[in-house]
Amino acid sequence: MKKMMFLLLATVFMLSACSGNAGSGASSDPAKKEITVWAWDAKFNIAALNLAKERYMAKHPDVTINIIENAQADIVQKLNTGLNSGTTKGLPNIVLIEDYRSQNFLQAYPDSFRDMSDSIKSADFADYKAGPTNYNGKQYGVPFDSGVTGMYVRTDYLKEAGYTPEDMQDIDWDKFIEIGKAVKAKTGKDMLTQDPNDLGLIRAMIQSAGTWYLKEDGKTPNIAGNAALKEAMEDYKAMFDANIVKTNSDWSQFLAAFNSGAVASVPTGNWITPSVKAEASQSGKWAVVPFPTLKNTPNSVHASNIGGSSWYVMNVDGQDTAADFMKETFGSDKELYQDMLNKIGIIGTFKAASTGSAYDKADDFFGGQKIYADFAKWTTEVPNVNYGLHTYAIEDIMAVEVQNYLAGKDIDSVLNDVQAQAEAQLK
Amino acid sequence: MKAAQPQSKFGPRFKAGLTGWLFIALAVLMICAFYFYPMIQALILSFQTGTGSNLSFNGIDNYARLFTDDMFLTAVKNTFIYLIFQVPLMVVLALFISVLLNNPRLKFKGFFRTAIFLPCITSLVAYSVVFKYLFSSDGLVNALLLKVHLIGAPIEWIADPFWAKVTIILAITWRWTGYNMIFYLSGLQNIDNSIYEAARIDGASAIRQFFSITIPMLKPIILFTSITSTIGTLQLFDEVVNITKGGPGNATTSISQYIYNLSFKYSADFGYAATVSYSIVIMIIILAFIQFRVAGDRNE
Repeated sequence: MKKMMFLLLATVFMLSACSGNAGSGASSDPAKKEITVWAWDAKFNIAALNLAKERYMAKHPDVTINIIENAQADIVQKLNTGLNSGTTKGLPNIVLIEDYRSQNFLQAYPDSFRDMSDSIKSADFADYKAGPTNYNGKQYGVPFDSGVTGMYVRTDYLKEAGYTPEDMQDIDWDKFIEIGKAVKAKTGKDMLTQDPNDLGLIRAMIQSAGTWYLKEDGKTPNIAGNAALKEAMEDYKAMFDANIVKTNSDWSQFLAAFNSGAVASVPTGNWITPSVKAEASQSGKWAVVPFPTLKNTPNSVHASNIGGSSWYVMNVDGQDTAADFMKETFGSDKELYQDMLNKIGIIGTFKAASTGSAYDKADDFFGGQKIYADFAKWTTEVPNVNYGLHTYAIEDIMAVEVQNYLAGKDIDSVLNDVQAQAEAQLK
Repeated sequence: MKAAQPQSKFGPRFKAGLTGWLFIALAVLMICAFYFYPMIQALILSFQTGTGSNLSFNGIDNYARLFTDDMFLTAVKNTFIYLIFQVPLMVVLALFISVLLNNPRLKFKGFFRTAIFLPCITSLVAYSVVFKYLFSSDGLVNALLLKVHLIGAPIEWIADPFWAKVTIILAITWRWTGYNMIFYLSGLQNIDNSIYEAARIDGASAIRQFFSITIPMLKPIILFTSITSTIGTLQLFDEVVNITKGGPGNATTSISQYIYNLSFKYSADFGYAATVSYSIVIMIIILAFIQFRVAGDRNE
């Protein structure tokens, strides 16, 4: 028994010795010429990285850039476990983080990310990107794509119902529902499709009014007494009550709803453009109009955001090289942004690059509308909010209560219940 | 007096002991390193709070928080619903199938055994995805039920809170029944045939034989399978994540999925996630204890 104890102790001692060593793995060679980048989505983020790499390598042939594709969930998981273990081995130099999650990482591991204030200027990017990429007054993230929203509409269905895209330029959600009812009556088509578990639309509605699930400190739930959220949820329910919503339960059903022509509009982020255009037979039948506003919320604007992400340089070997790569590409290279839009369809958030031939291109699929110029303009108008630490935690609570709300529960008690649950959970 | 034999410093008994220890040393080290050490670390972690690596001790606050956390309570409730319906269903089904397959007059025995065992060598994710498509609102199951006029409108197997749970239970049952059946089959083959012969001579019917011989003889195995199944169900993760993502709302969220969400989907709250994991440990201990009491022989 004694020996057993001895063995156990020896093991524990040995292991704690191991973990003690690992903690001191700080950056010893900041100018290392080989860097690694993690991102997800081969056709979007990785494609943009490859363009940036090509342009950077032309000027700096001595640098090696390894681009590694991982699913977003895997990146989040690896980053969390890697950073938490105290060792920097195996972590990349640059990582793409979704804006909704970034504050989370910056707050949980403040020393693990490099302050990029010297390399880029926050003011060079769309204002609303400052919220997610700043922490403690320092610029950590390099803002990347714009998740600016628009309202994609089927002009042919609208016409049948007696409306034109011009009628939808400056509308609020009440008017949108009214048009939706007319479309349903005349064409039998639903106005939009929604997954009841994904509250992206509600998120976009409240960001258009400059508010969020959390207060500006990024921690305190801002649900009960949030007038914009209340109105957004009332509008959301009104859409279901008006019977103009086709429900879907996953991404492929979402895509199928508009590709098959079953819905007359898609209110979402501009990243959906390639998916809308994927159905070539609908060419010329679409237009993009500004995002509607909340009628009774005066500061609600015709621009909002869903999704989007930014680059973060990590405090590991090679960080100077990584910072320079970011500075010379996504931080300043206007041509790169033109390329990204032309070749991939990515709308960036770098202000200086939001004009130019790529943005002025008329798109025949959208009846000759210059949709990219419109999106670029709206990007500058998106209100800046602090997504804070708990967006996804609150969204899971909301998803349950929104179901209760649609089933008839009183709006105020819904909001109070979400607030109470969020306060209990987010300690 | 004989000269003292040259002796090693340690006695022969110790030597034998040492050899024994050397044989198991590697295994002991590995178990300590990869089981006990993480377990102790997780226990310590479960008393800490904060996001990521900014952790501080907060006593038993995490454990107190469990009782006020609606998400956790829903996850526990869902998990217990799976447990209460799925484990007995599976145990009975596995027992029934194994008795059928143990019949000496049955033809193609090997084929049937393989066919029923096969599901449990499939990948958890792969079969979950297949189930998701089978049970989607325009999937094969609905199409079939509509064709034979058992239902008038498609059942929302994934999107309805009640049916989503049914789907999960069906999926786990499909996946694990064969696995449990193997244990019963081997148990059945260990029952001496002469017991049945004696019973038949005494005029016991097949049903009487099943309840009075088969079940009592298989009791240790039934106990074993129900404990392992209970543990497995409490740790349920893959099926829920891949078939329903815990939805609609949180109607199918399991405890393990909540641990994952706390760690990686929400705000990297590893301390509280460890607390929730330890709550599973506590539940497993209690349940195993009850099962031993109910089914086990105390002198065994």
